[in-house]
Amino acid sequence: MPKILLSVCVIVLASCDFQWGIGYNQGYSPEQPIPFDHSLHVGKNQIQCQYCHNQVDRSPHSNIPALSTCMNCHNIVKTESPHIKKITEAYNKGESIAWVKVHMLPDHVKFNHSAHIAKGVNCQTCHGEIEKMTQVAQFSDLSMGWCVNCHRQPENKAPINCSTCHH
Amino acid sequence: MSEEQNQPAVRERDSRYYLGLDEWMKDPEFQSYVENEFQSSPIREGSEKEEGWARREFLKLMGASMAMASAGCIRRPVQKIVPYNKQPEEVTFGINNFYTSTWSDGQDFATLLVRTREGRPLKYEGNPQNPFHKSGLSARAQSHLLSLYDPERLKGPVKNIFNKDRTSRDTVTVKWDEADDAITAEIAKGQVGILTGQITGPSQKAVVLDFVNAFNASHFVWDGLNQDALLKANQKCYSTSDMPFLRFDKAKMIVSVDADFLGTWMSSTTFMSQFAEARKLNHSSMNQLVVFDSAYSLTGANADIRFRIKPSDQLWVLMGLAYELIVNQKKSKFSEDKDIINTLQPFAKAPERLKISQNVFAQMAKDLWAVKGESLIVTGGLALNHAQGEMVAIAACLLNEALENEGSTIDSNHLMLGMTASDTNLIKLIEQIENGQIKRLVIHNQNAVYASVLGARFEMALKKLDMIVYCGDRVDETGRMAHFVLPDLHAMESWSDLEPVDGVYAIHQPTIRPMYDLRSFGLTLMTWGYLTKKGPSRFKDIETYYDYLKTIIKDEVLQKYAKGKSFDTFWDELLQKGFVALPDFDKTGSKRKLNKLAFSEVKPLNAGLEGLQAAASLDLELVPYATIMFKEGSLSNVSWLHELPDPITKICWDNYAQISIALAEKLKVKEGQLLDLAVNGKQVTLPAHIQPGLHDQVVAVAVGYGRTAAGQVGNGIGQNIYHLGQLEQNQIQFSGQKVTIQVTKKDYPLACVQSHHAMEGRQIVAEVTLAEYLKNKSAGLHKHHIFSIWPAHKYNGHKWGMAIDLNSCTGCSACMVACQAENNIPVVGKKYILQGREMHWIRMDRYYVGNPSDAEIVFQPVMCQHCDNAPCETVCPVLATVHSDEGLNDMVYNRCVGTRYCSNNCPYKVRRFNWFSYTHKIDKPLHLALNPDVTVRMRGVMEKCTFCTHRIKSTKIELKTQGETYKDGDIKTACQETCPTGAIVFGDLNDPESEVSKMFFKDERSYALLEEFHAAPSVRYLTKIRNNGQPNRHNESHS
Repeated sequence: MPKILLSVCVIVLASCDFQWGIGYNQGYSPEQPIPFDHSLHVGKNQIQCQYCHNQVDRSPHSNIPALSTCMNCHNIVKTESPHIKKITEAYNKGESIAWVKVHMLPDHVKFNHSAHIAKGVNCQTCHGEIEKMTQVAQFSDLSMGWCVNCHRQPENKAPINCSTCHH
Repeated sequence: MSEEQNQPAVRERDSRYYLGLDEWMKDPEFQSYVENEFQSSPIREGSEKEEGWARREFLKLMGASMAMASAGCIRRPVQKIVPYNKQPEEVTFGINNFYTSTWSDGQDFATLLVRTREGRPLKYEGNPQNPFHKSGLSARAQSHLLSLYDPERLKGPVKNIFNKDRTSRDTVTVKWDEADDAITAEIAKGQVGILTGQITGPSQKAVVLDFVNAFNASHFVWDGLNQDALLKANQKCYSTSDMPFLRFDKAKMIVSVDADFLGTWMSSTTFMSQFAEARKLNHSSMNQLVVFDSAYSLTGANADIRFRIKPSDQLWVLMGLAYELIVNQKKSKFSEDKDIINTLQPFAKAPERLKISQNVFAQMAKDLWAVKGESLIVTGGLALNHAQGEMVAIAACLLNEALENEGSTIDSNHLMLGMTASDTNLIKLIEQIENGQIKRLVIHNQNAVYASVLGARFEMALKKLDMIVYCGDRVDETGRMAHFVLPDLHAMESWSDLEPVDGVYAIHQPTIRPMYDLRSFGLTLMTWGYLTKKGPSRFKDIETYYDYLKTIIKDEVLQKYAKGKSFDTFWDELLQKGFVALPDFDKTGSKRKLNKLAFSEVKPLNAGLEGLQAAASLDLELVPYATIMFKEGSLSNVSWLHELPDPITKICWDNYAQISIALAEKLKVKEGQLLDLAVNGKQVTLPAHIQPGLHDQVVAVAVGYGRTAAGQVGNGIGQNIYHLGQLEQNQIQFSGQKVTIQVTKKDYPLACVQSHHAMEGRQIVAEVTLAEYLKNKSAGLHKHHIFSIWPAHKYNGHKWGMAIDLNSCTGCSACMVACQAENNIPVVGKKYILQGREMHWIRMDRYYVGNPSDAEIVFQPVMCQHCDNAPCETVCPVLATVHSDEGLNDMVYNRCVGTRYCSNNCPYKVRRFNWFSYTHKIDKPLHLALNPDVTVRMRGVMEKCTFCTHRIKSTKIELKTQGETYKDGDIKTACQETCPTGAIVFGDLNDPESEVSKMFFKDERSYALLEEFHAAPSVRYLTKIRNNGQPNRHNESHS
């Protein structure tokens, strides 16, 4: 009897489209539809973060680049790769790529990238050594404690009101 | 009805302010209602058995599912990010884009800045630079956005297939080509009519004119709330029916007879803004408003002196006043004019008939003459829809002429060009259909089958037509009669323009792509021109309405508004600024010629009966009135408007028959008891509402309810009363008709919010007369000596605060809808409002003052007061509500467990508990109207006004990223932005130069609610001043 119950549980849970793991998502590194390699683009080719994430300094969100941004280079570069072909095809059809979201804040939290960029916070401070990642993984745990730790440092002069993040 | 009762209300007053008659009478039921903050438990309630879960079972189930959930340690579901294919240049994620546009509902208009986010409009704001209403908007304008996302809008053209008698129909979808072919084949045969609403844009006017010329059609302009009587009067007095622009800002004294210019009459948003401007106390003198009111209107509520009348009194009021001025006091250019004196003679006994003291009339005439050229007499609205309506309007012209207002407060140099709709036009159309002159009819968005006294006859007439094309957004009451319903674009999807007043031209930009397979009305007409090769070249050859609009601007508008400028420069400026005004727009003048003969037509209705005898009639008179929410009945499917309580009665989700207290006593009627009203042998059953300040011989009922084809939200709410009117001698008789009442024994619950969130009799509203204020600027306020053993909190950076000037607030309730739109506030529906569960974060308190039979009204908007010593914060067991270092009372939804202690402990009753997951019930695509900057709350949490903390936040970040510092006025809350009168001011209290600081700390009228509790609120109110010539008010507010 317990065996049957256990296997039922396993089957039920396995069939759900959920992430596994306990607590925070630190280290979460889902496979992407196209294996975009940050270590190659940022690390080796030294492309600036803001070339692709161009709205990060004026928007609350750091945008995933539009396909047109990819095509700026990949019109010429490595056009024969099957992955690039996939992008070209989607681009020409007017479609898009559904990337898997890596960094997810808990509910009811608002985070603003532009405010932190204006303050001079490095991308790596929160996102880790992104230039070495072949597949992006969540570096920080993005918990409230982690946020507040930084905001509490007097030298950062950051607000620690509830409504700073929750509204 | 004794003589005293009809005196101005100030003469005999009680000093108490009260929310309703139940509070006035100290009804024990009311007291228990007030004491019991939460009406019922969510677990035990509900009529259906399934809903009646006992708490224990509920917890058991919860426990089981929790165990299941934790077994798998499931965290968040996988989410996807889908970027753009090509990045649109203007879109930055999470950043608002503003587009200039316009709004108009036929009568009222506004120039807008539409806030859009990632390509979808989220909220309307007023264009702050415009010369009419600044950034102010009405509740209706705000709500218009929601109609864009209405799930029941047509998604493509449809065809009605009728049976022989057109009594039943099948509605099937049809292709545009198919519809166009069928329609053009018909209309090419001629005998075409086109019925539209008021057209205020030159391009709209041109396209209809082109259609008329191409198909030799007849054009009829009609609108549910048209000013038929005024147009006729203008025609007679000035030989032109055009409406002049009114300047309430230049008027020092205003007399209104049933013209609700602060609520529903003509361009009320603009008028309200003008009126409030002339009422600000920093001017040398404050204006005075005298209102003669048949139903208790918003304008009546703002009157300095208000008289309750019945519709048959209207003429007596104006002619009586004219008699007093011209004959008795021998003032004005007409004082020697024999014809006019003869015309006025029959009205000599007007004060006697109206039971208003002769002295009051004499004083009023004296006051008016003292400010001649700077006064304004207005009349109009639905209450003028009777045989004498035209005469009442002529009488107003006579008074305005006598007082030399023509050319100053009445600006006929700048005409309201679009104001051409009239019932006369509809009557003409019906007659032409009936006698076979018109066989094919195109209707643009005018629901005449529903919203007219002539609706039934119009419906019958429509059955005779060979082809009816209805261009609206749904198959409504009129659309049901049409062969084809061709969905027009929503205003937010289409290009257009607006010229509300001669001298100001505004561009109307779309802010979203057409959501469905729709086509603009203009393009529909042009397509027919193209298919039949008829009409001028611009009509049949141009392919989009956008290009047509540009052509019109090039050909017509540029000439008038920007002589010598190139089109491209003008176009760019126009899009950027939203409108262009001629430099001399502010200069008023007159270009009409008076035809004095018109005045001699004015006669009392029963000329044979002497005044007093006529008054002896004790018949009850019907007063149809429009509400600020629905006006003639459009926007009925917008739930925000149903949820918005009527500012006067505070009842939502219904219409009702309003009767006076004396009449209720006579008929032995209780609130909510159903009444059978009979008018002309036609019946309607409505619940009774006992309304203080109503004339004892009127039954006031709102139009705009009882829709049958509005949609799921609007259908079957209230009763339609248009059918109570009739046509007599080519004149619509609606107002002032004899009503007989049959009292039934049935009760009907009315969702009235006036006694919710009551203050247990603690008086929080302060009001004094102008005389008192001039003697002592802080009159009416009881200052408390407050001390604390604790040192006050220090706020080193900003300290946000708000000041609300009760003297400017008109109670229009636009702030409530603005807040609802901005903060994703759910609509809860009538059932839950009856349980006191409405969710509005800002409420508009309406207090009666004085003798209930003739009560005056004071409004007070109340939202979270963001107290420095907040009573709510100390009782929260989980620290879900805490103070920020900028003086905000933060509410943290994730922490809240729903104990509701905070709400119990709030002395201002401004916290709202979210009982159910209302937002889960939002149908697509209504969810697109949700503001992404504000958390959508779940059930079980407390919520309340945040001072629009997200706006504070985003502005601060914007300033930071641009390296700028905050200056006063950078941050505006949603309620402040939308207030047409500028009554709400928000800003930094730590900045002594900010507007809010000056009002908050320095203005002598400033007071805090329940100051003696020392909650130290961050909101202060400024005393309301009533300019009624009385020395004092004999009461002292306990502030």
